[in-house]
Amino acid sequence: MPAKKHPKIESRAQNFARALQQVFGRGFGPGFWLAVVWLLIVAFCALFADWLPVRDPLDPVIANRLNGPFTSNLLGADGLGRDIFARLIHGARVSVVIGLTAVSIGMLIGGALGIIAGYFRGHFERALMAVLDVILAFPWLVLLLALVAFIGQSLFAISVAIGFLWIPAYARVARANTLSVVQREYVLAAKAMGASTSRILIKEVLPNVILPVLAYGLVAMGLVIIVESALAFLGLSVEAPQPTWGGMISEGKRHLATAVHVAVIPSVTMFLTVLSLNFVGDRLRSRFDVKESNL
Amino acid sequence: MTNTSEQATPLQLRNRDDIVLRLEHLVVNFQVGKQTVQAVSDVSLDVALGETLGLVGESGCGKSTVGRAIMQLPPPSAGRVLFKGQDLSNMSGEALRQTRTGLQMIFQDPISSLNPRRKVRDIVAEGLQIWRRPNQDARVREVMEAVGLDPDTVADRRPHQFSGGQCQRICIARSLALDPDVLICDEPVSALDVSVQAQILNLLEDMKQRYQLTMVFVAHNLAVVKNVSDRVAVMYLGKLCEIGNAEAIYARPAHPYTRALLASIPDMDPDARGQQDKIPLLQGDLPSPANPPSGCRFRTRCPNAQARCAEVEPVMQAVADSMTPDHFVACHFPL
Amino acid sequence: MRQPEHMESNASLLQVNNLSIRLNSAAGLVHAVEDVSFTLKAGQTLGIVGESGSGKSVMARSLMNLLPRRAVAQRKGSVLLSGREISTLSERELQRLRGPDIAMIFQDPMTALNPVLTICVQVSEPLQQHLGMSKQAARARAIELLDAVGIPDAVNRIDQYPHQLSGGMRQRVVIAIALTCNPSLLIADEPTTALDVTVQRQILDLLTGLQKERRMGMLLITHDLGVVASRADFIAVMYAGRLVEVAPANTLFKSMQHPYTEALFNSIPRINDASHTRLQAIPGRPPQLHNPAPGCAFAPRCPYAQQRCHRETPPVVQAEQAGHLHACFYPVSAPVALGGVR
Repeated sequence: MPAKKHPKIESRAQNFARALQQVFGRGFGPGFWLAVVWLLIVAFCALFADWLPVRDPLDPVIANRLNGPFTSNLLGADGLGRDIFARLIHGARVSVVIGLTAVSIGMLIGGALGIIAGYFRGHFERALMAVLDVILAFPWLVLLLALVAFIGQSLFAISVAIGFLWIPAYARVARANTLSVVQREYVLAAKAMGASTSRILIKEVLPNVILPVLAYGLVAMGLVIIVESALAFLGLSVEAPQPTWGGMISEGKRHLATAVHVAVIPSVTMFLTVLSLNFVGDRLRSRFDVKESNL
Repeated sequence: MTNTSEQATPLQLRNRDDIVLRLEHLVVNFQVGKQTVQAVSDVSLDVALGETLGLVGESGCGKSTVGRAIMQLPPPSAGRVLFKGQDLSNMSGEALRQTRTGLQMIFQDPISSLNPRRKVRDIVAEGLQIWRRPNQDARVREVMEAVGLDPDTVADRRPHQFSGGQCQRICIARSLALDPDVLICDEPVSALDVSVQAQILNLLEDMKQRYQLTMVFVAHNLAVVKNVSDRVAVMYLGKLCEIGNAEAIYARPAHPYTRALLASIPDMDPDARGQQDKIPLLQGDLPSPANPPSGCRFRTRCPNAQARCAEVEPVMQAVADSMTPDHFVACHFPL
Repeated sequence: MRQPEHMESNASLLQVNNLSIRLNSAAGLVHAVEDVSFTLKAGQTLGIVGESGSGKSVMARSLMNLLPRRAVAQRKGSVLLSGREISTLSERELQRLRGPDIAMIFQDPMTALNPVLTICVQVSEPLQQHLGMSKQAARARAIELLDAVGIPDAVNRIDQYPHQLSGGMRQRVVIAIALTCNPSLLIADEPTTALDVTVQRQILDLLTGLQKERRMGMLLITHDLGVVASRADFIAVMYAGRLVEVAPANTLFKSMQHPYTEALFNSIPRINDASHTRLQAIPGRPPQLHNPAPGCAFAPRCPYAQQRCHRETPPVVQAEQAGHLHACFYPVSAPVALGGVR
């Protein structure tokens, strides 16, 4: 136990350092950090695509058609002679925006519903779970097609449609975590103190539910990017000139026989991004789980 | 049984002015699937000011449920809980929240009773924050020092940085912050190491003196209960078997179940092996609380059971030649 | 009175010499077991008492090599079972030992049984596997065993699933499984901790009865001083991975040598003491087992600790009485009067 000689001023800084070390310090390994670096690069590209010194992703240069990598185009050019590197960077924007929006929508609505269901139980929980089961049982692609057909093909509409699909998953994760938190005696202790229901939800339940839900969000984001590419493959993602990774793969399939790189490069980019998201999300989640079990 | 108003006052309730907590005909039902299980069945007892009541019994006897029913977490299915004369079970939400601050609770698992995401300072100050009490920092420091924690080094940490014994100290500090009259301890030392148990038991005793607490101490360990209690209540399958002065019950148990419990404690002196074997060993296991035996619930394991025990449920009666008054037993053939 | 000296067999059933085990953990190497030596003869019970984290369960599991391979960083010392070194055996050879030679009972009867198999399958499986019995013969033997461990109506109970039995009954089934192949050594790791006191006494009576009847050696591991005092022939007190004191049960508490044994003994509330008796608490908490400080592990909590205790690790030495060992530079020698202490 702590020696009494620590002066108070120092203990603040020490506590912060200790907290940092606890979350990020040991045991993640180099793979985790590689994945984090990759995700940071993707996020940076998405944010600053317009200002980066790359070619215009929409400018077809006929002379460069199907150029291979490391020619006058760094990663080659597609069937219309557009620079693949530039398109990847601008396409990251779509993936990141859809990923973030869809995950946030799912997390906010699904998370809130899940916490309420897990805390209050009863009729609301039963009704909610029944509705969610129906949504989950519905073939998601058909549902998505219907939604996109209904609300259109803008970036926002697609994000909302995919986000809607994620509500059941988040609700389940949040509900399961809430159920285990509610059984803990600190919730009982707070009730005994006279804490109101909203205080218990915000101070006791939410902080313990939000971390596993956030970690799940990273994994979900990877899946959202794949869903977007599936939509793009069917020509139902964001409208044509705007580059998206899924759209690039879809266009590349025409040239598979002659220029494999047109499809392979965006596929690899997407693969690495989704893998990194899964990896980081999974590690973070297991870190929180371990912390729980150590307690 | 649910109609409390027409029932006679149970014999074991004392007629005294300083009764702080009084349970009358307490019943707690749980819904298990489609079955209703009576976890606590018509329990009446009282605790006087400054007294510690020990509540003992085996797992599933309903002792912890009684502790929680006093706090109205959840409220009892029937019967009354009187705290300083006020009926808690009749109160509405806001009045109950107010009045209940006079009762606080400590749980078995000190780690599970502390929110892992909050700092010790906030955990201890929780009740003060909820009720917007003045001078919160000073009060937090005071109770933390009282339980033997150094506020300067401890306040900014989180629970997982502490051992079980220290977590239990934090729990005790939290429960004392609101200056309660009654402290309900639900197996407070059974999750702790043997060498740490004594520290916490001594601490509870000190806190009781310092803050003039009345305590209800729920535990399965009879030696621990004897150490802290003035009065002891023994429960079996949701029923109260025996209640009385701690010394009297341990020296001369009147209920066969109490005697069997006492005889089950392993003897520390190897030379005394065989002495306790004179008391017949309890046979079999606890019956299911969903389907309790007729008459006296203990009769299926009781060495003295007679035909009458299966037919008539025994009521509380005063123990005739007890060392102390207010010793009651629910048995047709008390020892 | 069971006097271990009067046991006719001199050959030791289990002999553990200088056993040390280091475990991997996120916080570094854990010195779980340090230089533990003891001998157990056939028909004897050795009680091992210690708090959680004292290394008693790690030691018990390592005797049967049941620790997860990845967790064990280092293992030193020898374990002789009936004179045969077993710590170097391959997993295959060990499997042949488990059952006929060593059997183990765990703390939690809920998780020790497979919830989807009937009692019959679980009890008769080792009979068929190790003893090559036919299905019918194994079933008949299983019913006999369940009878022997005091399960009423065994003929009908045998086709039930674990969840249909109470905790005490489950622990009886676990004991029956451990006895299937007539082991010469039974390791019982906290066999009654999950049970209620009245059931605890039934199970302890059953275990000691069976142990006497079958002349098994038994290692009884528990945190409860009362349990070992009433059931064991010898008691070993474990603290921070080391055996700090070993003595015959009937002399240990009368002449405790190690300050930890004394402190532990004194800190327990007694049923014969008056209410509100002030307990003699042990200050501080058990030490962390990674990066142990030099010297005696109990020194920081010990009222008698001297300079030397913080520097050197005390070796295990013989006390005045035969068979009484302790590891302390300054043993507490004053004999304690033991008038009906419970």
